[in-house]
Amino acid sequence: MQPIISITNLTKVYKLKRGGRKTAVDSLTFEVRPGEIFGFLGPNGAGKTTTIKMLLGFIQPTAGSAEISGISVENPQARINVGYLPEQPYFYKFMTPREIVAMHSSLAGVPRQDRRTQIEQVIELVGLGELASTPISKLSKGQVQRVGLAQSLVGNPQVLILDEPASGLDPLGRRQIRDLLISQRETGKTIFLSSHLLSEIETVCDRVAVLAKGKLMAIGTPEEIKQGGTRTTVTTTELTPEIMSEIKAAGGTTHRIEGETVITINTDEVFTVIDSLRKAGLPLLAVTPEQESLEEAFLRLAA
Amino acid sequence: MSSVLIIAKTTMLENARKQVFHVVTLLTLTVVCASVLLSVFTLGVQVKILKDLCMTSILFCGGILAVALASTALPSEIETRTCYPVLARPITRTQHILGKYLGTISTVYLGLAVIGIAFAVLLAARSALDGLLILALVYALLEVALVAAVAFCLSVFSTPAVAVMISLLVFIAGSVKIGYFSHLVNGISNPVIKGAGLFIYHLIPNLESFNFKDALVHQLPVPEAYLAQVAIYGVCYTAFMLTVATAAFAKKEL
Repeated sequence: MQPIISITNLTKVYKLKRGGRKTAVDSLTFEVRPGEIFGFLGPNGAGKTTTIKMLLGFIQPTAGSAEISGISVENPQARINVGYLPEQPYFYKFMTPREIVAMHSSLAGVPRQDRRTQIEQVIELVGLGELASTPISKLSKGQVQRVGLAQSLVGNPQVLILDEPASGLDPLGRRQIRDLLISQRETGKTIFLSSHLLSEIETVCDRVAVLAKGKLMAIGTPEEIKQGGTRTTVTTTELTPEIMSEIKAAGGTTHRIEGETVITINTDEVFTVIDSLRKAGLPLLAVTPEQESLEEAFLRLAA
Repeated sequence: MSSVLIIAKTTMLENARKQVFHVVTLLTLTVVCASVLLSVFTLGVQVKILKDLCMTSILFCGGILAVALASTALPSEIETRTCYPVLARPITRTQHILGKYLGTISTVYLGLAVIGIAFAVLLAARSALDGLLILALVYALLEVALVAAVAFCLSVFSTPAVAVMISLLVFIAGSVKIGYFSHLVNGISNPVIKGAGLFIYHLIPNLESFNFKDALVHQLPVPEAYLAQVAIYGVCYTAFMLTVATAAFAKKEL
């Protein structure tokens, strides 16, 4: 299947004052498949926004290349089928949501006869119906975020690049955005989603890439990302000092809960621990595989 | 082309809401309208003073608005990030620059149109309306376009404050280039400083050539060849400035 976004060895090095250099994105290579929601994760300064800026032609890569729908991002035509929501979008304060969406529908090349219908559709879709004629200056941060989402959806683009779409939204708003993203995926759109909200990413994304210090640390489904750090808890009663040392040496941890000792250890070390407990004559109360959350995986990878 | 016009329209709507536009336009309009107080003079003198005062006001207002609006149009958009959703559309940076430029000079022209109409009404009331007024106004618009292009170009390379400052200097120096600047440069004895002075002299646009105030006031004939020459000069200088601005903006990291 032809990837919709293809990034190959993409690198961005910023020249600093006093002759220094900073590598913001380092030889990034990955692909986004058609029809998927692709989560783009990373701590602040990981290079997410720089990557998005290169994808949209706002900045030039130092090395490497990127394509959208098979067209190099250096060519403005690559953006013909792209809707973009910047992080904390700003719009002309004197304009109303309807005017902004109308402006973007013209820029997106929506035929004149379809504009009015499309504008009203996306305004309703993001829940701005009653505020469509209110100037931006009178809208809340969350409402402006919805305007940003509306302008990104107009023109029915097949690729959506969304930078923190749930930023500034209340829990209900986040839920609506999540449902909206899922419904957009069902229409066949590809969504490139950069977000700090790991629970949102985990819920909606088909695949995830984790970026740290400009480098790609992991890529795969949320399950695949989490697998690498799967740990298991072993529950027993008391531990001897010898077993305690063995566990620490194997990178495990222990803690006491209601008279029981819970050992948390990498899954591949479980049988070693069980053997030690058996040799010491200690009871084995429970063995529970511990599923790493995406947040834990993120922290592990980003560290 | 439609993308350019959409950006131009939005830019014009944005600029027309700026305080500097209202203040400068209203002040100039006040000066133009206050010229009715010139009734103490005889009609002939009255008309001459009216033409002189109004044309000076129009040129000054146009220059100030062009500098103030063009120097800030692009940097403020980058600073407030309003350009991101627009540039994420399938438009080129050249289209964006042209749209912003057209929107900016359209705003200045809107202000000058209001003042120009007031001026024309005052002249008509004194039966002194003639074709030279249109000529003088058209060339004032050409001058404004050139000044705006210079300010626009400078704003791509520097901060808005620096762009405003240098553009104002260029506007002032360009307006007194032949009368004073050449005199100043010719008086320098040091060949190196004189060479640098001459370089700046040729670099600065000759805004005086767009000023047909004297022809309007004293009803002097203007040769057609000269008019064509000035128009070509204005268009070429403006185009050159916009080309430089576009080339620089195309490589600018946003």
